[in-house]
Amino acid sequence: MKKLVSSLLVLGAIFALIAPGAIAADLNDVGYVDQTAIGSLPPFVAANNQLAAYKAKLDSQFAAAMKAAKSDAQRQSVTMQFQQKFADKQRELVGPIFTRAQLALANVADKLHLSIVVDKRIVVYGGQDVTNDVVSLIRSNQAIAPPSASPPPSSIGFVDQSALDGSQKVKNANDQLQKYIDSQKPIYAQRIKDAKTDAERADIGQQFDKAVSDQRDKLLKPLIQETKNVTAQIAQRKHLLLVIDRGDVIFGGTDITQDVQNALK
Amino acid sequence: MSRMHSSDFIRAERKPSPLKSPALRPLSIAATLALALLASACSQVNVHSNTVRGVGYVRVDEVIKHHPLYPQLQQLNDAIAAINLEASVPRAPLTPQEIATQTAALNQQLKAAQERANSIISQKQNQYLQQERDADIAALKAAGIDPRAAGIGAAMSATSQAQAAQAARVAQQDYMSYQQSVMQQDADAARSIAEQLNKEAAQKFRARASEYQQEESDLTLRLAQQDATERLALQTKLNNIAMDTAQRKAVTDQLGAINKKESDQVNAMRARHQRELAQYQAQLRAQAQDQINKQVAAIRAQTQAKLSAHGDQLRSQLQGLGSAPVPQANIPPNVQAKLKQIHEDMAKKFQTDAQAAVAAYESTKSDLDAQFAALHGENVGATGAAAKQLRDLQKRHDALQAQIQAQIQSEADKLAKKMGFTVVLDNATASGGAYDLTNDLIRDVESLHE
Repeated sequence: MKKLVSSLLVLGAIFALIAPGAIAADLNDVGYVDQTAIGSLPPFVAANNQLAAYKAKLDSQFAAAMKAAKSDAQRQSVTMQFQQKFADKQRELVGPIFTRAQLALANVADKLHLSIVVDKRIVVYGGQDVTNDVVSLIRSNQAIAPPSASPPPSSIGFVDQSALDGSQKVKNANDQLQKYIDSQKPIYAQRIKDAKTDAERADIGQQFDKAVSDQRDKLLKPLIQETKNVTAQIAQRKHLLLVIDRGDVIFGGTDITQDVQNALK
Repeated sequence: MSRMHSSDFIRAERKPSPLKSPALRPLSIAATLALALLASACSQVNVHSNTVRGVGYVRVDEVIKHHPLYPQLQQLNDAIAAINLEASVPRAPLTPQEIATQTAALNQQLKAAQERANSIISQKQNQYLQQERDADIAALKAAGIDPRAAGIGAAMSATSQAQAAQAARVAQQDYMSYQQSVMQQDADAARSIAEQLNKEAAQKFRARASEYQQEESDLTLRLAQQDATERLALQTKLNNIAMDTAQRKAVTDQLGAINKKESDQVNAMRARHQRELAQYQAQLRAQAQDQINKQVAAIRAQTQAKLSAHGDQLRSQLQGLGSAPVPQANIPPNVQAKLKQIHEDMAKKFQTDAQAAVAAYESTKSDLDAQFAALHGENVGATGAAAKQLRDLQKRHDALQAQIQAQIQSEADKLAKKMGFTVVLDNATASGGAYDLTNDLIRDVESLHE
């Protein structure tokens, strides 16, 4: 009996050791949305069809304007002019529906006390699926007002990867990689052309992939690792559990892009 | 805290206890419990700790690499890369004849694809109209209504009208686009012919003018040679200083008369030539205009024939889609609802099939367009048979990848649930404390296929 008591005491001691770690509240304010479901709503489909028709018309005008352009400067100007035209039309056609979708999302997130809503594609497990709530609200005839409160601070952070990729160091590395690919492509392509069997061709394709991958590792991996380390340090300092890419965040979250950029300087 | 894989933990629990003596049993139970808890606390992550708070992440791209089917996926990737690389080799320039022959072949393939799509759509229209008719008759008979009295086709009327309207809309768009492209080709061809014929006329005129100029030069020379002896004699006389003024004037006048005679003859010829050239130019212009008119008329006739043929083709597609007779009998609401349902089903099926036919045509057209662009020296990647192979490989690749991802998702789901996570995400940039489940998941995925 004594032994049993002493054993139970040991158990109690073990529980006491474990207990401090178990009192933290689990994160349950993460939502997700299936963007394809929202994109397939009739207003979005109609707007996108109109935009596609406009783009087809614009493409032929663009081709004619590029043909008439005499210098690189003129061609650049034409390109910018047409990009602007397309962006304006996109804003005109998709803008109002997009705003309604964002308002719907903000309202649903507010109602469910979510600090972040991410794209369904990155959710492996858990989270709250808010797709139906958002779709219903968009479909309803009611006007959607912005929620009274901004989203609560989130323990999930995000960085704008495209902004980080725009740094001079990354640009230089990417340029070097592209140069390498451009120089190697004709060599491997010729070897494939001269190859006798499909297996031989696939083998050369594999060699090319490996050569590019090795070069990518050499040029970009150190930069990626550095960015990752800096991001992790900032995440810990700011008590963020996880940092994801801005492209995967639909609503809310904590933006640490500027902190990462500053630290990398 | 060292990480222990969940399945390893299960295996550890299943090991027989070494403490088998009944006297030691109470202690052994407690000790086993303690050990198990200790093992749980030390070898498995505490997902509810302050640092983790139920959040995990997985590097799915990394897990895919450890899936047993990954080598197959990699093989498909390599084959795709090989085709893309091969397509990037600059092509040897083709002769105009080769370009013309291959263009004709491409046009033929495009025409065949158009006809195939039209034929499928037409066939599907008839098929679904017949099916709807049969279904309507069956529904009416089941409700005890004479289909003839009900004016069978009433429900079909809606289908027919909807299909006809849809087909007419598509046909109208297609026709307008076709008309625009044909008219543009027409205008380009007419302009090119006019330029060519005007150029030919100008060349002929220049040749004739040059010929006349040569004749005038020849005449000038011939006349000068003809009068050379007389002119020399007169000039010699003029050099005689003993000659009086009257005699000198007479010789000078004779020389002037010779010059005038020559000049008159040349001027007469030049005037004649100018008249003839003016006439010739007018004649050339008239001929060129006549030829332009004939050629343009021929082109327009061809254009009209093309438009007309296309129009006929569209009309034949739209035939049989006209309004059906209006129902004669009073059909009960439930039967009307049934007929409406039949109509909607058929319309939906037709729409799906028509879209598939159009998509197949668009895909063929897109590939033929790429081949056409490649013929003219543009780098458009793989075309023709290589493009088809590329599409097939891509399809297999996507299907295999989806299969692998689904299995990984299922395993991740089980693992996350078992370990007590509240949320697990993919594509994380960095972790500030969230647990990385990648290695655990890799072990699970690998062990599944052992």
